[in-house]
Amino acid sequence: MSTGTVDHWNPNLEEQCSGLHAACESLEARRKHGLNQFLEAGFPGRKDEEWRYTPLRSVAEGEYSSKLSVEGQLPGDDELATSSDIRLVLINGRFREDLSDLTALPDTVKVVGLSRSLETSADSVVTDLNRWIPLVDHPFQNIGDALLEDGLVITAEGNVDARIHIVHGQDGSESAGSSHVSGLIRLSGGAQLEVLEEFRSRGKSLANIRWGMEIGSGCEFRRQRIVRPGCDVLYHGTRVELGEKAVFRDLIAGSGARLVRNEIHAILAGPGGHVDLLGGYVSNGDEIVDHHTTIEHAVADCTSREIYRGVLGGDSRGAFTGMIHVHQDAQRTDAEQSNDAILLSRSAEMNTRPRLEIYADDVKCTHGATVGELDDDSIFYLRSRGVSLEEARRMLVRAFTAEVFEELENEALKEQFIEQLQEAMPTAVDLRQ
Amino acid sequence: MSAHENEEKMILDVKDLHASVEGSPILNGMNLSLKPGEVHAIMGPNGSGKSTFANVLAGREDYTVEKGSVRYRDLDLLDLDPEERACEGIFLAFQYPVSIPGISNAYFLRSALNAVRRYKEEPEVDAVDFLQLVRSKMELVGMDEKLLQRSVNDGFSGGEKKRNEILQMAVLDPKLAILDETDSGLDIDALRIVAEGVNALRGGDRSFIVVTHYQRLLDYIVPDHVHVLSEGQIVRSGDKTLAHELEREGYSWLESGHAAEKSQEAS
Ligand SMILES: Nc1ncnc2c1ncn2[C@@H]1O[C@H](COP(=O)(O)OP(=O)(O)OP(=O)(O)O)[C@@H](O)[C@H]1O
Ligand SMILES: [Mg+2]
Repeated sequence: MSTGTVDHWNPNLEEQCSGLHAACESLEARRKHGLNQFLEAGFPGRKDEEWRYTPLRSVAEGEYSSKLSVEGQLPGDDELATSSDIRLVLINGRFREDLSDLTALPDTVKVVGLSRSLETSADSVVTDLNRWIPLVDHPFQNIGDALLEDGLVITAEGNVDARIHIVHGQDGSESAGSSHVSGLIRLSGGAQLEVLEEFRSRGKSLANIRWGMEIGSGCEFRRQRIVRPGCDVLYHGTRVELGEKAVFRDLIAGSGARLVRNEIHAILAGPGGHVDLLGGYVSNGDEIVDHHTTIEHAVADCTSREIYRGVLGGDSRGAFTGMIHVHQDAQRTDAEQSNDAILLSRSAEMNTRPRLEIYADDVKCTHGATVGELDDDSIFYLRSRGVSLEEARRMLVRAFTAEVFEELENEALKEQFIEQLQEAMPTAVDLRQ
Repeated sequence: MSAHENEEKMILDVKDLHASVEGSPILNGMNLSLKPGEVHAIMGPNGSGKSTFANVLAGREDYTVEKGSVRYRDLDLLDLDPEERACEGIFLAFQYPVSIPGISNAYFLRSALNAVRRYKEEPEVDAVDFLQLVRSKMELVGMDEKLLQRSVNDGFSGGEKKRNEILQMAVLDPKLAILDETDSGLDIDALRIVAEGVNALRGGDRSFIVVTHYQRLLDYIVPDHVHVLSEGQIVRSGDKTLAHELEREGYSWLESGHAAEKSQEAS
């Protein structure tokens, strides 16, 4: 449909795809499927409802269609106060075992690079991929399939409580391009796992990352994601299935990225499951932050909670699309959803689309959305106590996003998240312009 | 020469202050001078402009100063931003303190204290020293320590909010404190505790402007001067006995007084 825009992508993608090592037929089939889908559909235009608030014109125009160099360096050096000593580094989409630290990995947790496991056990990995990341017609998933090559496979089993820090480094400083990561995370036997996923970037680049997750019965998976300033385009997709009494707690924070599309599809497939999706961000300039979530309550007695809070300045735009799908049998579902925004300028914009599809009758579903400004009375109150205008505004960002971060246990990390958002606040001088 | 000396001694000197909000005049020629260490009470009917005056002194930008001047110590107060005024020692205890969910009282107070200290080029206080300081002040105003970890004024009772204002005052150690109806919403015991807190901060050069409707507060915080504000002007001043007189007689005398004034203007 988007004629012209794929001129660069199509030949590049075909060439790259055919250059990949064909480890097995099912892998080959998946790549071909992705390639063909993309060749046919390309990137969606503005008329596509799912992409209405995320214009992909600049992505489609081709600069990103080559793969980023294998030689890339990890950008940035200010480290997060993670409480994890297991560190996995990916640079330009390749899992870099040489830069990672797996020494503290407990026996019950396994981490393998996707490309390595495609070498050793291609068939079963592709079977898992097909199961946990089923094929969908989606531009980034199509590209991800066509160029399926590397990523991570993480499994945690039994009585374990581990923390892993994953750093995605994008280095587009030599020349622009994209990277593609596919990951699997599977928890079983009551495992507890926490992952801090960090995105760092330099230069022009598209990071195309998707995860398929299985959180088995009684397991809990906590994930924090932080988009560090300087990221260009980030597509991040998560598909997660939860078993009985399984818990998924997700938090995404970020600022200073040109375009972020965060997609989550959570399926509560066993009774007593719980999903928490939280997000806090500050945007400026012509940045775009798009949170696109679907929570499927497939069975009874599950709960879900979504809280997204954005502070938008300049000409930036935020979007939130939140589908809550309650199946017919999902009685006693309790789903909460809220999306709140503070606009710092007249040209900033927030689009909220709650979508409720409820087929059960005994259901509690609430959704709320607010768009406001920083409260003048609060600012004056703070200033009247000696706090500068700038600091008062920063404090109100802290206040506004407090609910998103309040349950983050690692206080030092929490402080870094909040500080990053505060730092991203446009100064009062910027605002007057 | 002697007049000049007098001026030197003033901590606050308000001359012919006119202020409006969205075009409608509210203060219509306020005059008020305070010497260091003095306590002035401002009384007057609802809507007479007491809070407006207090907010103009604190620097609220919703009000436009049309005319007049305010000298504070050796500064032109109207030239300063609200935060500069605070750092220079002006403190307003709000009639209606706002609540700020998501910011703990402790974080707020420490940010404020450190902002003032940075301005004065004093070292910032760390968490430990701060806690020690704030604990002693909380005792002074009889405030529950639990309120430190709660969000600023969020879900506080009316009385707790007012005590919180006095706590902030005690921590920030201002030179001129303006208390806007700090007594309203307080029960008898709380009133006494807050008044004792204020009295403990009295003395030396610290001055107070106490806005109140009730002479009761002034039994505890005995003022040096009492002023009556009406339609944005001080129409009467006296000593503490004026408060008693107002308590007995109310403001009905103002109606006729003002009517007379107005008719004079008209002729
Ligand atoms: N922001 C505002 N917008 C419009 N009108 C205002 C504003 N602030 C004050 N006023 C008006 O100015 C007048 C004086 O108000 P102010 O709050 O100063 O009175 P007050 O003497 O403190 O009264 P009270 O005893 O009830 O507290 C009132 O008529 C009020 O409605
Ligand atoms: Mg008032």
